[in-house]
Amino acid sequence: MSVTAEAPAQYRAAAIRPGPLGLLREAALEIWNRRRLIGYLVQADVRKKGADTLLGNLWWVIDPLLQMAVYVVLVSVIFQRDKPDYPIFIFAAILPWKWFQTSVYDGITSVTGAGSLIRQVQFPKLVLPVASSLAAVVNFAFGLIPLTALILLLFPHRLSWTLLLIPLIGVVQFFFNVAMAIGLGALNVFFRDIGNVARHAMRLWFYLSPGLYALSDLQAATEKLPVPLIRHMLLWNPFAILFSAYRNVIYEGIGPDWGALGALLVASLILLALATLLFKRAEPAFAKVL
Amino acid sequence: MAVVDINPGVPSAPSSSLPAAIQADGIGIKYSLRFTKKTTLQRSFINLFRHEPADDFWALRDVTFKLVHGESLAVIGPNGAGKSTLLQVLAGIIAPSEGTVEVNGLISSLLTLGAGFDQDLTGRENIRLAGAFLGLQGPDMAQRTPGIIEFADLGPFIDAPLRTYSSGMRARLGFSIATSVDPDILLLDEVLATGDETFRAKSKARVVELVRQAKGVVFVTHDMNWVTEFCNRAILLQKGRIVAEGDPAEVVAIHKENSRRAKAEREAALAAALASSGGGVLPPDAVGSKLLR
Repeated sequence: MSVTAEAPAQYRAAAIRPGPLGLLREAALEIWNRRRLIGYLVQADVRKKGADTLLGNLWWVIDPLLQMAVYVVLVSVIFQRDKPDYPIFIFAAILPWKWFQTSVYDGITSVTGAGSLIRQVQFPKLVLPVASSLAAVVNFAFGLIPLTALILLLFPHRLSWTLLLIPLIGVVQFFFNVAMAIGLGALNVFFRDIGNVARHAMRLWFYLSPGLYALSDLQAATEKLPVPLIRHMLLWNPFAILFSAYRNVIYEGIGPDWGALGALLVASLILLALATLLFKRAEPAFAKVL
Repeated sequence: MAVVDINPGVPSAPSSSLPAAIQADGIGIKYSLRFTKKTTLQRSFINLFRHEPADDFWALRDVTFKLVHGESLAVIGPNGAGKSTLLQVLAGIIAPSEGTVEVNGLISSLLTLGAGFDQDLTGRENIRLAGAFLGLQGPDMAQRTPGIIEFADLGPFIDAPLRTYSSGMRARLGFSIATSVDPDILLLDEVLATGDETFRAKSKARVVELVRQAKGVVFVTHDMNWVTEFCNRAILLQKGRIVAEGDPAEVVAIHKENSRRAKAEREAALAAALASSGGGVLPPDAVGSKLLR
């Protein structure tokens, strides 16, 4: 009659909570012990997203292609900008951006969406934003299919071994995505307008990042800015680094700027630690507020 | 851990030599009304600058009791007394603002049965997911699944998405999961009223069986017959505090007496208010005090 459990059978609940390092250790243990639960949640998430539509998960392939088509029409036909092989150039930015968007939006609602569960079962709430972030990876991975098809069929001269570096850049972005999802997921429990703010902030973020244009364009445009701080902020924006890295390996066929990428990795890990701390600090209040 | 009998007057439970399944010491739950449901940025900025005196509300205060294995404890009281909050604390869902709770044993805490299910997943998938949420391991849960499905008695619906279920079916599935995971301590919140007559009988038998197996059970219920018939002990909560504890029949009698008196007071206050206003419109404070009751 013994029960094997991933949750502790004994516990002592009191008003006193462990310090920052204790909380981080606790968070890491929770994620590791509940990896099976996270797996189920990812599975359910992926299946549900494809369930309501006629084409199902095929949308993950079609969606970035359509978005790319919109930008290609806008930039090359209306604005008459001429960049060689612009579809690939733009695709290298759309793919990681859509991933980030999915991560952030799903992360924001990950905790509030599980409100009724949080009120009746005790489990580490951290699994929710982590699971939603992992489900978003599947989304990104599917997007690599149209990218590969596009290169092979229409732009075979762009095919390069550097495409194999995409997962490496993806790892750096993943840590940044998870950090954002965890932090915003916790904040949204207390401030329900995070989602509204995020929609506009994200749009601005995309246009200020070198996605539709090159990093060199951004450098040239910001050279004469009166406040140098703004220029630094724009150039050191995580998506200036990420878009450039993806574009280097997908479009230019050269390696990414390893130094910038390494710095972003360190910054993302620090952000992840801070977001996890915020989440763990706020966690005891979730059941009361939801 | 030392077992201290905090309530010598309570009739002894079957296995008082075991360590307490639940030991609650002076727990208090404070709700800060500043951060209540759906605060917007605008509101919280306003609150930040206003520096209003903290709007604190104690849902529970000074709650001390002990549950030994094999005991079935009923928590009764009027609406809003803090009964459900108490179960949430025992389940570890809410951490106490003061005091401590010590729990020895696996707790099964599907408090409002079925509310946490995923509407788009099938019954079978929800069983798997619920097991993972409760912290049971995969093989263990797989072994229990046939038993859960059989007890829930959903027929072919077990492989249909949950949104196609009736509320009774959902409650049945929830009850089956909550009781099939072999909890050492089972927390039930007004669940025996769900389902049809047959299932109600079946679930009563299941709970009696669990009590017989020396499992601790804590009920929140308004069914006083159930309390006197199946519980060894009862706690009466009023406004977040324990006002009576002990033999179920006695506590139920106190509860009935208190409710009768509270009702009489309310009616008297209302009658007085009506009389003073000359049978016209109720003065606003009388309405307010009635609502607050």
